[in-house]
Amino acid sequence: MSNKRGFSDRGAFGVAEREGRETGLPARVAVIYGGPSPEHDVSVLTGLQAVHALQRAPGVNGVRSLYWSKSGDWYEVPAATEAAGFLEGVPSSALRLKLISGPGGGFVRPGSGLRARESRLEIDAAVICCHGGPGEDGSLQGALDLTGLPYTGPTAAGAALGMDKLAFAALVVYAGLPALARVPLDDKSGEPPFAPPYILKPRFGGSSIGIEVVADFETARARLMANSHLRRGAVLEPYHEEMFDLQLAARSWPELQLSAIERPLRTRQGGEILGYQDKYVGSEGMTSAPRELPADIEPALAERIYELATEVASITGLRGVARIDFLSDGEDLFINEINTIPGSLSHYLWIDPRLPLATLLTDLLAEATARPAAVYSAAGSDGSVLRVAGSIASKLG
Amino acid sequence: MTALAGVALGACVAASILAAARWLRVAQREHYLAAGVVRFAWRWWTGSPLNLVIGLGALSGAAAATVAPGAAIATAALVGFGPVGLNLRGRTSRLSWTRRLSLVAAVTGVIEGAVVGLGALAGGWSGAAAAIAFSALAVPLLVAGALAALTPVENRLAQGYVRRASELLARARPLVVGITGSYGKTTTKNYVAYLLGGERSVVASPRSFNNRAGLTRTVIEHLTPGTDVLVAEMGAYGPGEIADLCSWLRPEVAVITSIGPAHLERFGSLDRTLEAKAEITSGARLAVLNVDDSRLAALADRLEGTLKVVRASGSDVSADVAVLGLDHGLELRVAGKASGVARLDPESPPPIRTNAACAAAVALELGITPEQVAGRLGSLPGVPNRLQPYRAAGGYRVLDDTFNSNPAGARHALEVLASLAPAGRRMLVTPGMVELGREQRAENAALGEAAAAVVTDFVLVGRTNRAALLEGCRRVAAPPSLKMVDRREEAVAWAQAELGPGDVVLFENDLPDHFP
Repeated sequence: MSNKRGFSDRGAFGVAEREGRETGLPARVAVIYGGPSPEHDVSVLTGLQAVHALQRAPGVNGVRSLYWSKSGDWYEVPAATEAAGFLEGVPSSALRLKLISGPGGGFVRPGSGLRARESRLEIDAAVICCHGGPGEDGSLQGALDLTGLPYTGPTAAGAALGMDKLAFAALVVYAGLPALARVPLDDKSGEPPFAPPYILKPRFGGSSIGIEVVADFETARARLMANSHLRRGAVLEPYHEEMFDLQLAARSWPELQLSAIERPLRTRQGGEILGYQDKYVGSEGMTSAPRELPADIEPALAERIYELATEVASITGLRGVARIDFLSDGEDLFINEINTIPGSLSHYLWIDPRLPLATLLTDLLAEATARPAAVYSAAGSDGSVLRVAGSIASKLG
Repeated sequence: MTALAGVALGACVAASILAAARWLRVAQREHYLAAGVVRFAWRWWTGSPLNLVIGLGALSGAAAATVAPGAAIATAALVGFGPVGLNLRGRTSRLSWTRRLSLVAAVTGVIEGAVVGLGALAGGWSGAAAAIAFSALAVPLLVAGALAALTPVENRLAQGYVRRASELLARARPLVVGITGSYGKTTTKNYVAYLLGGERSVVASPRSFNNRAGLTRTVIEHLTPGTDVLVAEMGAYGPGEIADLCSWLRPEVAVITSIGPAHLERFGSLDRTLEAKAEITSGARLAVLNVDDSRLAALADRLEGTLKVVRASGSDVSADVAVLGLDHGLELRVAGKASGVARLDPESPPPIRTNAACAAAVALELGITPEQVAGRLGSLPGVPNRLQPYRAAGGYRVLDDTFNSNPAGARHALEVLASLAPAGRRMLVTPGMVELGREQRAENAALGEAAAAVVTDFVLVGRTNRAALLEGCRRVAAPPSLKMVDRREEAVAWAQAELGPGDVVLFENDLPDHFP
């Protein structure tokens, strides 16, 4: 409990914790996946894994499989639907849903034909398995906050922070933690205060699409104009050929826990940080990707990663399970990014002891109801302002 | 008398239901075209001596039923089993009970009921028995009638989807690249999506979705609001269909990959095919044409001045955009200037250069630099079941080109086959090519001849093109060893038994099992 308490004291982004409100596991659950995102397909895989695992999880009584289409429509599909069912688009057995905001809202099946009345899906909590786009940038989280439906993973604000590479890096630096330089790039930017070559990245977005290594500032400017993936904003970082990725997962319930450290082995070709094939596919965090797990690194470096990960969990208000990415040359260590809804929910990173996906999911669900993502308050709006405004109006009238 | 007539009626109703299951499946496979169902009924009942005998027997039974209602039982028995070879449940293509199919089935049932009612009015019990016997045999015609009657209904429903898709397009406002042609549409579409993917947010119609239903579904289910480019494959079975798709998709960039005898039996002539495909350019800002095709080269000259024309080629150095073959590589030429080289993996089949040139032209026009395009030409994605190589458990290599087959594609596949296994046995498994109209016999004979010159083993599947393929085979001085099978499964088993390491087998085309 002390760890949990520590969270609320240092907590950021309004993770509201109410003592004594541990209600146990929500029984009727929904898994949300897909969405209008470059990582739609990976999200479908994560979502189907979660549906499958939850069906056999103790304490869960009914799992709904809720699919968010690429075009933004909502559907319920049979829980047994396989990945192949999504190859051509919305599975043929899908039923249309609406998402309604406000108290008493949530997911609703519209009336049709003989059944004219619309009916609300009875759901106690939702597992969000969306990667990238509005499912991981706070939009979906905000929408669910307005419906009152508890959900797993980051809060709206935590998700938005994780999706904004510039804001995240700024927070890390502000907290006195190590990060590589990262500067915004737009058509008015001057040369950055570090030497080329650079990595050019979209400022928002979790996938590797749009990321590339550029030789000089002029090229970076030209790419900014030419590549529409950089349209919403771009950041520039120094590129260090010798550095490699190290990453681990952190989860916040029942207490802060850190996974083993992984070293992903990525293909590097022709100056691009990822092969074009990888980029085009735009996937991340797949359980089948080549990796070294646990990473073969010095114990001191591993220790430092654990320290920094704990700090990052604290300053970002970790809720759910996140993957934290570092860069290192074997000695120096820099915090790179946070992925607040990682592929396969990073459950495969817990290897000693293993963490079954079902256990991770039921812990996430317990947290979803025990630590609501948003609690609204109207304290202070007691009418006094309105009374003053009324008297002004009468004087002017 | 009445008891026997009752039994006959019941038997014929049962036979009609079995026949309906068969012919509704054909209707579904033939794009719900009434003419397609009738054509296939003729092919099946006249395609083999056995079926001809069964069909004539069923017809005689129905005729006899006008005087002796019991004879309808014979018709029912024959129609219940025939035509031999057309399965109730598909092997390659199962019947799927969609809303549309249920409606067709219901209307078919109503028509049959009406026919039987009329028979009963005209001739009492024996009239009814004869009527139902005739209609059991004529189920394909009844299905065709239902399809024709339902066309206006379906058009109305489709308009609803078109309206919704148009709204979504108006909101997202992507640049639309329309791709049509007799062959190479899907490959070119995948190439375009691949070349643009790193720089633009691209949505491409999945698989071979290329008609109104598939493209409205693409927009409604796949078009993310932030999409920059929608790559739409547009197919046509007749004049006016591309224009209809363009009326709401409004492609700014129009690509025509090839003009060939695909669906020739529906178009009539290659010049009519060209005019139908050229509909894609009206309203476009830019046309990308494969000028290796003489008809498209002429179209390029004709269109000059009405819109920007980019000539793409897989061999002509002077074309606006050319992708040329090198040893283990490709060279991109833009406006005659060498603009980059891509290395190819010798293990995988090379990309189809004319399609790559068309795709490169689109990418260049959309602002991707020649260096980037050239760099990515070396890793263009293959299309599943289109010349995809893999190694079988028996150690021999398999080239899977079963997606479909056309004269140009089949020649390309034979070239790849010849280049892969100069030493071992080279087996070709094919049912030949279909939908080539009057050219079908000649084209399949030409395929047979070309194949006989390359392969050591020739496995002919099914009966649709058997005679034509054999005719071509006989033109070669030293024909390969021949094997005839009825179904692909038998051919696969034959290859497994015969081939070993060092051998290679090409599966060229796979006809769905509603073909005889």
